[in-house]
Amino acid sequence: MVKLEDLKKEATQILKSGKVKYIIGYAKGADGFMPIPTFISDPEDVENLTWNPACVHNLTKFIVDEKKRLKKDKNPDNRPIGIIVKGCDSRAINVLLQEKYIDRDDVYLLGVSCEKTGVVDEKKLAKTLKGQRVVQIDFEDNGNFLVTTESGSEKIPAEDVLAERCIECKANFPVVFDIVFGEKIKRQVDKPFQSVETIEDLSQEDRWKFWKEQLDKCIRCYACRSVCPMCYCDECVVDTISFAVEPDTSAEEKAQKIKWIEKSPNLSENIVYHLTRAMHLAGRCIDCGECERVCPLDIPIRFLNKKMEKDAKNFFDYEVGFDPDQPSLVSSFKDEDPEDFIR
Amino acid sequence: MEKILQKKSFPKWVEKLDAYEIYSPVKKDNTWSYEIINTPGDIELDYPNAVQAPKKIINPQREVFLEFGRSDDDTLEVTEVLPEEKSVVIFGVRPCDAKALTLTDLVFSEDIKDNYYGKRRKQTAIIGLACNTPPSPNCFCTSVDGSPHSEDGFDILLTDLGDRYFVKSLTNMGNDLINLGKGLFVAPKANEKKELAKIHADAEKKLKRQVNDVEKIPPKLKEMFESAFWDEESMSCLRCGICTYLCPTCHCFDISDEVTSVAPFKGYRIRTWDNCQFPDFTMHSSGHNPRPDKASRLRQRIMHKYQYFVERYDHYQCTGCGRCISKCPVGIDIIEVLNKVRDYG
Ligand code: SF4
Ligand code: SF4
Ligand code: SF4
Ligand code: SF4
Ligand code: SF4
Repeated sequence: MVKLEDLKKEATQILKSGKVKYIIGYAKGADGFMPIPTFISDPEDVENLTWNPACVHNLTKFIVDEKKRLKKDKNPDNRPIGIIVKGCDSRAINVLLQEKYIDRDDVYLLGVSCEKTGVVDEKKLAKTLKGQRVVQIDFEDNGNFLVTTESGSEKIPAEDVLAERCIECKANFPVVFDIVFGEKIKRQVDKPFQSVETIEDLSQEDRWKFWKEQLDKCIRCYACRSVCPMCYCDECVVDTISFAVEPDTSAEEKAQKIKWIEKSPNLSENIVYHLTRAMHLAGRCIDCGECERVCPLDIPIRFLNKKMEKDAKNFFDYEVGFDPDQPSLVSSFKDEDPEDFIR
Repeated sequence: MEKILQKKSFPKWVEKLDAYEIYSPVKKDNTWSYEIINTPGDIELDYPNAVQAPKKIINPQREVFLEFGRSDDDTLEVTEVLPEEKSVVIFGVRPCDAKALTLTDLVFSEDIKDNYYGKRRKQTAIIGLACNTPPSPNCFCTSVDGSPHSEDGFDILLTDLGDRYFVKSLTNMGNDLINLGKGLFVAPKANEKKELAKIHADAEKKLKRQVNDVEKIPPKLKEMFESAFWDEESMSCLRCGICTYLCPTCHCFDISDEVTSVAPFKGYRIRTWDNCQFPDFTMHSSGHNPRPDKASRLRQRIMHKYQYFVERYDHYQCTGCGRCISKCPVGIDIIEVLNKVRDYG
């Protein structure tokens, strides 16, 4: 098991020695059991660090944030950032490295192993506990979680409440790290695309009906984009005006800015948004599931990216985030790539 | 007007409202939302609060202002499109969400009267349901001049008394609706009034969260515009649209033209929701952005609700519904932020 004390010891040490500028980790939230991302630069605050099955967030997004801040900083402090990464999060780091968005020494990776389990799906947890309020959730031995509610503690099998992505996870142990906590435990995943296959199995008609209903609900809050570590473009197709407008951008250039997507949150525009995003994440999404978790309307957008992942694997034998040196899916080809779709 | 309505008579009353378009909370997949219902049986009043406030009905995310196009002889035609005239009833509105409408009224009907909002508002009756138990662990209405049984913004407020509703009409529109169900309603007995008072008092005690000394916050904020506090608090913010789009009181919008066909030339001028957390919200055409980072955007959200609005209208522009807390992907908690502001420095 990951020993929080060990994690804290290392965190204190790297902060004290000045090895890292600050550490991005998880801390207890103000209320309820969900932890919040925290940014620690004072060794005294290491005390606040926590690690439990509710540490769902993919913190690598904040590395992207830091990179953007540094770009604007006249006297940037380029020391590495310490960051806690689960297996899936570490794959995001690999993609950022592969795309040369970051350098390896921009980050000091504190890996944590999910061992036999992973993180919870809040909605499943609420359902299992039938509305009892959760106060705390912890890892237990043998693939169980220890859940403390207002009325007491109980052990529940992790599989009942695990996030879908954890059930289909290919990296329960970080694939890149500087130091790692917890054991490397091999876990067999027989059906890595089981969830998306439930949608694939539907008839074309039913599939269209499903997506029509789901995407019609979207309010275009763009939380799915904002949370995604791979959605780092300075200029996004959904923004009417964007960062790419600088003081020296000419009037002609501005006038020529294409409006790709209308602001109307209707089905057709919502589909443009979601399909564009899915295509832009093909061969890049590492299935941290954050986009789906944050959606306030419970739209199962993870399916779209999962489908891309499945096709990349089946057609091009491409897997994301395991090798920072592999050529990227969309900018490379192999002789044996299928081409029967080219007419 | 105060009445009692047996729950078993409730569908009969709704049947009498057949001239109205009726909205009610319904459960779709896993989330609750206000939708148009077809039969009285679809009305669900045993529900936590909906993800989206009924704001989406009165101030829809997309409002068509006008239609434009070129006619056959090439003249440009512009036609104003006003909301369709109809009578609407929304059932099951929570007190915080109804109060939020009264706040948006101030914005859209003071100096400049917004015809689109005004029309929808006027033709819609708001029927509330008092919260006997706070539906969200993050409810804090009592801290901001509200309560789980506040009457602000309602035409009728229902309180669940087990097998009956205590029905209180607060406007003529409410009286009319009750009169349509004549014979179904009876006058409350003294013990029922007592029961009501007890339920209301108990509900207030069940709220788990609060902001103490909230009146200290607006003056405090006034001194904190330049504070490093906003950098610290906003570190984890993602700049998404959740906290504002879901907020019942947020009302910022953008106006744009959408061309639907080039030949013949046709399109709409529309208003869509916008929000202060998006990077392009305050972007000038010069490329300058006066709110360039997330610190200045979080500051704007809190300042607007607890400083500017208070100064301008003498109300907090937050009704304590707790949505922005429950749905923020990174746990930015307005109660916590406010408590810290109050105790800052
Ligand atoms: S988070 Fe959900 S509602 Fe928001 S833009 Fe994404 S899919 Fe739409
Ligand atoms: S698309 Fe979703 S699952 Fe994939 S990396 Fe982005 S947030 Fe994670
Ligand atoms: S904030 Fe108050 S009025 Fe609103 S839902 Fe909660 S208890 Fe009810
Ligand atoms: S405070 Fe939370 S909900 Fe609001 S913009 Fe930031 S991340 Fe999104
Ligand atoms: S600011 Fe938050 S708590 Fe206040 S009314 Fe808006 S969503 Fe509700």
